[in-house]
Amino acid sequence: MTLERYSVQIRSGERNIVSAANYDIFQDEITFLFGESGIGKSMVSKAVYGLLDPNELQVTVNGKPYASYLGEEVVKEIKKNSFFVFQEPSSHLNSLLKISDQLNEGSLRLAKDEAGIMARLWQNADAGAIRRILDVYPKPYRPSGGEKQRVLLAMAFKKIDVLLAAAGAGGRSFFVFDEPTGSLDNNYRNLFLELLFEKYTRRPFTVMVITHDYSVISELYAKYRSFLPRIHLQELRRRDGTEVEVVDFSAQEYLNWLGEAPAKAAPGAAGEPVLHFGGRFTVFGRDLCLYKDAAHTAGADLVIRKGEMVYVKAPSGVGKTTLAKVIMGLYPAQKMVMTLCGMQLTERTLKKAWAKKIWGRKAGMVFQHADESLNLAATVRETFEGLPLADKLGPERLSQVLAELFDGKITSAFLGKKVAMLSGGQKQRLNLLRTIVLATDLLILDEPLNGLDFLSVKKVLSILDKKRSEGTAMLMISHNEEIFDHFVDKEHVYYLAEI
Amino acid sequence: MLKQLFIKKDLRWTFIWILGILVAAVWDILFLNKPALRQVTTGFINTFTIALLVAVFTLLLAWGVTLALHFFEAQKNKTLYLLLTFLLNLIRSIPQIVGILFGYVGVSVLVQAGVLRSAAVIFPLLAFCVSLFVFIEFVDLMRERIAHYQKLDFYNAMRVCGISEGRVVNFDILWKNSRIHILNKLISVFGAAIFLQCSVDFIISVGLSTDVNAVTLPATMGSLLANIDSKQDILSIGYALTHPGYIGSLFFEHLLGITVAFLIVFSLMSIYHIANGYAERHRL
Repeated sequence: MTLERYSVQIRSGERNIVSAANYDIFQDEITFLFGESGIGKSMVSKAVYGLLDPNELQVTVNGKPYASYLGEEVVKEIKKNSFFVFQEPSSHLNSLLKISDQLNEGSLRLAKDEAGIMARLWQNADAGAIRRILDVYPKPYRPSGGEKQRVLLAMAFKKIDVLLAAAGAGGRSFFVFDEPTGSLDNNYRNLFLELLFEKYTRRPFTVMVITHDYSVISELYAKYRSFLPRIHLQELRRRDGTEVEVVDFSAQEYLNWLGEAPAKAAPGAAGEPVLHFGGRFTVFGRDLCLYKDAAHTAGADLVIRKGEMVYVKAPSGVGKTTLAKVIMGLYPAQKMVMTLCGMQLTERTLKKAWAKKIWGRKAGMVFQHADESLNLAATVRETFEGLPLADKLGPERLSQVLAELFDGKITSAFLGKKVAMLSGGQKQRLNLLRTIVLATDLLILDEPLNGLDFLSVKKVLSILDKKRSEGTAMLMISHNEEIFDHFVDKEHVYYLAEI
Repeated sequence: MLKQLFIKKDLRWTFIWILGILVAAVWDILFLNKPALRQVTTGFINTFTIALLVAVFTLLLAWGVTLALHFFEAQKNKTLYLLLTFLLNLIRSIPQIVGILFGYVGVSVLVQAGVLRSAAVIFPLLAFCVSLFVFIEFVDLMRERIAHYQKLDFYNAMRVCGISEGRVVNFDILWKNSRIHILNKLISVFGAAIFLQCSVDFIISVGLSTDVNAVTLPATMGSLLANIDSKQDILSIGYALTHPGYIGSLFFEHLLGITVAFLIVFSLMSIYHIANGYAERHRL
């Protein structure tokens, strides 16, 4: 095993963006780099790969100015032999070129098995369906985010094929997959892993997979045990302010925690349900139905009582978030029958009734994208102002609330910090706390674990469990099935599907 | 501080503008006769006071009307919403200059009739006339900002936490996320107010009446420009173009007109650059 250690510092003007003293690359091995969103995983990886603009940012790698680092032979070799799959696929694709042309740009045209890779990533869909995607000029909305992500993965796998076909060692490589399955469900994530390990078996190359999907660990331990000696699990953690460090992540810690899992939701107390939502409804012209089984045979009303946690499952795009918004009265739904805290609500109920009686009082909801749901121009303190609380949150009480999910002392400087200056993980914690602090009977959480590191995941689940035990009814929406399958009783799992 | 002036275009142009006015003031103190200096000073102060009032009234009117429209719409109060929209469209259909001109005529009539006497009443009234015909584009800007945030999860996420609509709109959208846009627009409104005032004052002073201006309405840069002395001063610029030897005399013998023209043109140019620089700095 050859290890290369990089120290990276990235500044913008006076502001230090991130400093990482020990970013390690294990030659010809596979590293999974975890860490909360926005901590600097992508930025540091881009710096080492040589993708940052030295005119825009002041970057030093191993103490050298970036311009001189970019001129080094090793960086040129990495760029020649490798591929960087960006987190946001739209930013990679050229809207003026057909996807088929982009899949054959530069050295990618040397790879022979494009059709094979595409077929695998599209689960052997018919050739016509794949052709239709290849003929598209990419736009923000076309093809879908998941399809764009698979196109990028196909490019990376083609580049790997080119490297593997090269005579001799093929040169130094560094394939970076930045949240490669962020827009894909677990099924596609597993397909990605399958292809990656297949190619890796032919000849090892260097891989860095950046992710905050900790459930990938279970998949690695279940299916790729023989590769474990060549797999490194690492986590980027904050040391102080913008200083981060890479530490080894213990797979056993995660697996043991999952095995123990926080106490499952106890059967609900008898009595009137907090929420009773008719199992069939129509929204935006689509008929949706809730089921109690994965095979979609037993339709059921969604019933949540005090102290119950219910988990709604469905593949991406079916309408889980839509269901949550219908329950909160944000989307009008037809054929909707709902009782919330004893109140009959229909599509005719006026918004002002929701605003006056329900929002923040009887029910609250955490939206899935913290970046969009928080006021980025406000300060941490202002985020909690205006909430309908019985007692106003003074600085002391607010610090106590924040301390539940934020490490260290909550200083007045932190309270006065702009939300925009927080990392993605910090924003998500703030997003959760803003709703959790409310004394509502029903709490709807849409992807509550988005962008969180393992430590925060554990803390969040512990807080939710406490709220649940205090009698709050909860509706959970998450693609993180592994964690919630352990956290929620089977009898409280619902499946949403389009009829 | 000096470095900031060179980096930030808006600050640089604010500095240039103030410096230009100071240089003109010193020059006038040295070379302009006292009665003319008094006229220029009064005209300058009046013009900029009214322009400042226009900016304030525009902001207040626009904010109030935006909120009214927003809440009528949210509460599905169609009658009031349509009525207010109709009124706004009615004002929008009148060319700005024509509307302001009639407003000024109205104020002049009241002044002549002796109803209005104090500058403390006349100035705000004149400013209100101007702001009434420029505030609508301000309403459009604010409505666009609210509509933009309503499309994002931002708005609904706050509402379902129980945060009141008033706070979300006023504090989170308009104040926290749009004040840069609003201030940028206000700078432009300030410039537009100077231009419109000067245009209307000039028209009134030259074309509509010989009685109204000097006696009744406060002296402004526009009315000063319409003075017979200023006109001759301006014409002398043309003369100097064909007789270059005369250029030197412009800054001593024709200082009243030259100063007024300089203050108007230089201020409008500076304000234009300040607004642009501000927009660039904040990436609007």
